[in-house]
Amino acid sequence: MSADHKTTQLDVPLSETARTVTVVTWKAASVLLAVTVLYALLLVAVPHSGDTRFLLSHRGDFFQIPVIVVPAGPLAWVCGAVMLAVTAFVAVLTARRTRTPLWLVVLFALAALTGFLAWAGAGSPRDLSVVGLLGGAVLWSVPFVYGALGGVIGERAGVVNIAIEAQLLGAAFTAAIVSSITNSAVAGLAAAVFAGALVSLVLGLFAITYHVNQVIVGVVLNVLVVGLTSFLYSQVLVPGAENLNSTTRFSSIPIPVLSDIPVLGPVLFNQPLLIYLMFIAVPAVWYALNRTRWGLRLRAVGEHPKAADTVGINVVRTRYNAVLVAGAVAGLGGAFYTTVYLSQFGENMTGGAGYIALAAVIFGKWDPVRAAFAGLLFGFASNLQNVLSVVGSPVPSQFMLMVPYVVTLLAVAGLVGRSRPPAASGEPYIKG
Amino acid sequence: MKKAVRLTALAGAAALALSACGAAPEETTGGEATSDFKPCIVSDAGGFDDKSFNQLSFEGATAAAEELGTELVDVQSASESDYKGNVESLVAEGCDAIVTVGFALSATTIESATENPDIDYILVDDAADADFDGNADAENIKPLLYDTAQAAFLAGYLSAGYSEAGKVGTFGGMDFPTVTIFMDGFKQGVDYYNETKGTDVELVGWDGKKGSFTGGFAADPAAKTTAQNILDQGVDVILPVGGPIYQSAMDAIADSGEDVALVGVDADFYESDPATQDLVLTSILKGMDVSTKEAVIASGNEEFDATPYVGTLENGGVDLAPLHNFEDKVDPALWEEVQTLKESIIAGDVEVKSYLAE
Repeated sequence: MSADHKTTQLDVPLSETARTVTVVTWKAASVLLAVTVLYALLLVAVPHSGDTRFLLSHRGDFFQIPVIVVPAGPLAWVCGAVMLAVTAFVAVLTARRTRTPLWLVVLFALAALTGFLAWAGAGSPRDLSVVGLLGGAVLWSVPFVYGALGGVIGERAGVVNIAIEAQLLGAAFTAAIVSSITNSAVAGLAAAVFAGALVSLVLGLFAITYHVNQVIVGVVLNVLVVGLTSFLYSQVLVPGAENLNSTTRFSSIPIPVLSDIPVLGPVLFNQPLLIYLMFIAVPAVWYALNRTRWGLRLRAVGEHPKAADTVGINVVRTRYNAVLVAGAVAGLGGAFYTTVYLSQFGENMTGGAGYIALAAVIFGKWDPVRAAFAGLLFGFASNLQNVLSVVGSPVPSQFMLMVPYVVTLLAVAGLVGRSRPPAASGEPYIKG
Repeated sequence: MKKAVRLTALAGAAALALSACGAAPEETTGGEATSDFKPCIVSDAGGFDDKSFNQLSFEGATAAAEELGTELVDVQSASESDYKGNVESLVAEGCDAIVTVGFALSATTIESATENPDIDYILVDDAADADFDGNADAENIKPLLYDTAQAAFLAGYLSAGYSEAGKVGTFGGMDFPTVTIFMDGFKQGVDYYNETKGTDVELVGWDGKKGSFTGGFAADPAAKTTAQNILDQGVDVILPVGGPIYQSAMDAIADSGEDVALVGVDADFYESDPATQDLVLTSILKGMDVSTKEAVIASGNEEFDATPYVGTLENGGVDLAPLHNFEDKVDPALWEEVQTLKESIIAGDVEVKSYLAE
């Protein structure tokens, strides 16, 4: 992680070439060591014998891979050895003042995960579906990723978007009604975008025009939308469930050839439209923020609104613009609930996904691509507990239900390093 | 600026008022009241529109109120934090009999019944026995219990025989005894089928002690994921236990593109939710409507009797629904066997274990 290796430019040129000093911390190495020790303790304290059955393909897949049966104990220990080796290597690198390459961390994570899954699935007659695990993670991450993108856009313009939850829920609700009435998932999606932007408009009105504390407006909006949708749900949707709350959903579109790739094919390339849109939206938002005039102005307004104003950028208009786009993007995430995943709206069905998206914004250091990966990580953590409960893991289900939040907390508190929000984030701009 | 703050505060207050409070009691049954007996009912978090358990009890209580010529006062709980306040508000309304629907309301019911010995309480689905002495903790509580394991046993046997994949699945809302009793009975039915036929049909999602739960009784994304993961194991019959969570399971079945049959709980899904008609193999019936109605009428006629009611196959309190659309997909011989099995269970020749039948 780059924060661990801060590169300091000394501005006194001692020679012709500027001297750089690399500051290396032991944080990465110590975190890896701690995880390895915990992992080893788990294997020793709660040993599991038997085989683990990894299922890599499903009925109907192009390539049929037989179920891979591995003895769990040895596999778990091999993975532990890999983890230890990586930790040692990172320690050596740190001692030599070299950056830890990303691939080492990825290797460590893969080993830890494989080992943990092997341990958790040991002795179970059930197949541990790798496709189900990863595919479910992608699906679960959709609201997190869209929500996080919405959060990033808003905050980069200097408006804290606490109202992601409200945008998701409002969008899910609107999409449910519109998709049910029109029998069209696309119409539902459009309505969701509109609803997300509408919530944003209210946020903008108070936060930008009336300079109200943005955090308070955001929290109030979240509670307001929960109340409003629950009220309308019980008064309107429940009595008219057949016409108003049974939506038409997007169906999965397999992409030819790509969807036949073993494991990754069905995970990434046999998904509904909204997920493909997400694959495009993440780089698109990155490009828009970092490579276009719109993005430059937006960031200028978020970092130093006064300077932006001085050079003739309309701060209020730019912020409104950003907040509306943010709401629209978050609205796409809300559409996931009622036009992709389920065919009906339920009270408070987003269940706090907006707050996790907010955590992803911070974990991703206000960068759209990193925030999207953070959303993916949280999606994976959410799905892991579902898969393990079917396999019959020894971990109590109540504990597993907690996992996504623990991961979020650890991620935001411990691993993120130093993260700096946009300088004017949360600051209303008062001219003069 | 000041104005904006005030506006925000107002919006906040409105939001809190909308979301935090439970619904006010509302009078539903129209018409002139001819009796001054006041029956009341409170739902658990599932709500009276759950097409299952709350709805059935509500229908029973409504029918009783009509027969008694009085009006039913009902109040729905939106979350667990509403239970106490809702029951208290019914006491304040001056209810003569209060039907509390669900295991989750047990503690609240015991507390309220102890404080108000003049009111008759009818607790659906729990023995109201927090101190485990074998009796209800207050003399004015009539527990309505259902040994659904018996009917679930039949459903398990039928599903095992119907399954071509040799794998059937189940999952529950929460790990409550009233939920797991279905899963337990279902498992015993599958096991019994394997024993008599020498087959090896597997049950995914419940091993007798642990299983898959969605963490709530709502048709939410978690319920669908749980269903999906069970379908990933290759089951072709699935039994979701817990109010509306079956609706999420139906979405999962639609996405899987496979022929998976659904087993209903509480009500006959074929009747209560027409959307299920192509999917529902059978339903495990829990006659809450009839027993609630009878208990309320007894209270209205001042014949309230606090002995627990236990629904069984024998007294018709639990049963297996007809096959409807699946009649030509199920081997008639298998259906015959199920009917014979039902007789054997009633006669006591085949023993179904559950916490109610120990």
